Amino acid sequence: MNIHDDMSDTDVLSAARDSLSGMPLGSPPDVEAIMAGGRARRRRRLIPAVTGTLAVAAGAVLAVTALTPASLQATRQPKPQPTVKLAAWSVTKKANGNITVVVRELADPAGLQSTLRADGVPASVTVPGHPDPWCRPYPVSQALFTSVYHADRTSASGDTVLIIHPSALPSGAGVQIGATVGRNAGGRGLHRADVNQAIHHAVHQPAHQAGAHNSVLRAVLVYASPQCTGG
Amino acid sequence: MSNEQSEFAEFFRASWEPCLRAVLTVVGHPQLAEDQVAEAFERAWASWRKVRRHPAPRAWVVRTALNAGASWWRRRSRELPLADHDLTAPGDLGHGLDASLLTALRRLSPRQREVIALRIFLDLDTDTIARQLGIAAGTVRMHLSRGVMALRRELTATNNHGG
Repeated sequence: MNIHDDMSDTDVLSAARDSLSGMPLGSPPDVEAIMAGGRARRRRRLIPAVTGTLAVAAGAVLAVTALTPASLQATRQPKPQPTVKLAAWSVTKKANGNITVVVRELADPAGLQSTLRADGVPASVTVPGHPDPWCRPYPVSQALFTSVYHADRTSASGDTVLIIHPSALPSGAGVQIGATVGRNAGGRGLHRADVNQAIHHAVHQPAHQAGAHNSVLRAVLVYASPQCTGG
Repeated sequence: MSNEQSEFAEFFRASWEPCLRAVLTVVGHPQLAEDQVAEAFERAWASWRKVRRHPAPRAWVVRTALNAGASWWRRRSRELPLADHDLTAPGDLGHGLDASLLTALRRLSPRQREVIALRIFLDLDTDTIARQLGIAAGTVRMHLSRGVMALRRELTATNNHGG
């Protein structure tokens, strides 16, 4: 006989609530930032309604948007537009500084690289068969790696989602994202492999998105340098 | 600040923590939960005229947050044989928490965790949970019962092992 044997359902749930309530949480984001994000979402919802009459203007806005960091846009517009959306991928800078990269297909790596750099992330984006010779793997622990990256896949579309936490990057380190074709490419889900003493995470790209190449998206940490990560 | 903004700000301040704890209980990853809840509150503000009239606006936020991302718990259970060493250890979630409780939660199905999270952090009754999840009240009772049973079993086993 012990104290848990005669616990009622209410007692069990209370014990669970009490224990889980002890989890330390970070400070909530600023409500103004949340509302700014909400306004941006509302504006994006309105875009299809005006596309027909403002197609040319919208195209010009999109072109500017693709080259403009979210943080810079925030300074130019009274109501900040923190999201850059393109067909192949999108980069979203959250109010807490985290960067969410959604990859639908591995196209325009240079655009992805410049967008990440413009949003303040020392970044290198590579394509299969073309490793960046300027980049050197940054030695990381599993804990450091998971504090910088979180890989996921959206439940609805199957797109690959990579969340980057720039604040967790050590001084002198940058991110490198790239596609590769390897023996892990046929696998499923999240993998880890030690390659050149760097920890790689790979998210399997669905075949219909990766085309003829059964590619995986890899994310690693590298030493930051002007040649490799832009700074 | 307009009345509408003040109303939302008050809702946000009062609801952030319970919503985050509920989502964290289901997804099991602090950073992911935080991002998903922040996104859900952005959506709530974008649709505030609708959400403010919702019978359970906090539940709306939690459901929206959970829809925003795949469950870390679900992925973990699916990929454990492939990459057990690869994922964030449950201990990252459980600083200072009852290890047996975390073990028990990890073993629950996502739906069971969701039902339990909505009950203990949002204090929703069975019918409201059922409406929020789009399932029958009887199904909610079943998930709740099985979830509680599993939690009790784990707590009991731990207590026995612990002497």
